[in-house]
Amino acid sequence: MNTVELEAENPFALGSETVIHLPGGLLGFETYKRYSVLSNAAEEPFYWLKVLDEPSLSFLAISPFDVLPDYQPDIAADDVRSLGIECPDDAFLLNIVTLRPRGRSTVNLKGPIVVNRFSLVAKQVVIANASEYSVQHPLPAE
Amino acid sequence: MLILSRKPGETVVIDGRIRVKVIRLEGDVVKIGIEAPAEISVHRQEVYDEIQRNNKEALTQPAGPRPELPRLVRKKENKNLSPATSK
Repeated sequence: MNTVELEAENPFALGSETVIHLPGGLLGFETYKRYSVLSNAAEEPFYWLKVLDEPSLSFLAISPFDVLPDYQPDIAADDVRSLGIECPDDAFLLNIVTLRPRGRSTVNLKGPIVVNRFSLVAKQVVIANASEYSVQHPLPAE
Repeated sequence: MLILSRKPGETVVIDGRIRVKVIRLEGDVVKIGIEAPAEISVHRQEVYDEIQRNNKEALTQPAGPRPELPRLVRKKENKNLSPATSK
């Protein structure tokens, strides 16, 4: 296990429930601005994003580098600035997953949710290199 | 829809705080520069539509049983997600 390298702390530790604020909402859901991020050991590496103002609604997401280490999203400088992100370690990415039958679930790599892990303010951005990625990238399922 | 004629280098001001400038024409492509406050998000319509559609499709309503999640192939050890190494 890696004990030498100092890692930025995951704001969404297993078993925790952390509220993030998306002042602009998600695209198509602009009115929902607060989400509770839940994770648990049984469902690792997935995260549930529960809509706080509409608790019957939730999104599923993953931290992308866990399963797609080659993913290189280019976050626009304006988005980095507006989120108060000063270095890459300040950001935590969540990419929305669409569950589909027969192992064909997909993940949106064009529009990640970028979270400032300190302020917990977040934004669903369109990455500057969106043309290189799909909104329905197949998840590498077993 | 309001339709205005502009030449390259000319600008339209919206609400006193958003500036849309025609930079240049390249064949059938118009290069546009947009200056807007940080809280205004600007997207290409087709990318916006694609992500919005995908968000709507991804929305789950956990009224019924918890869906079974796929087992993912881990490409590498993720230190951020492992409780044993988070400290």
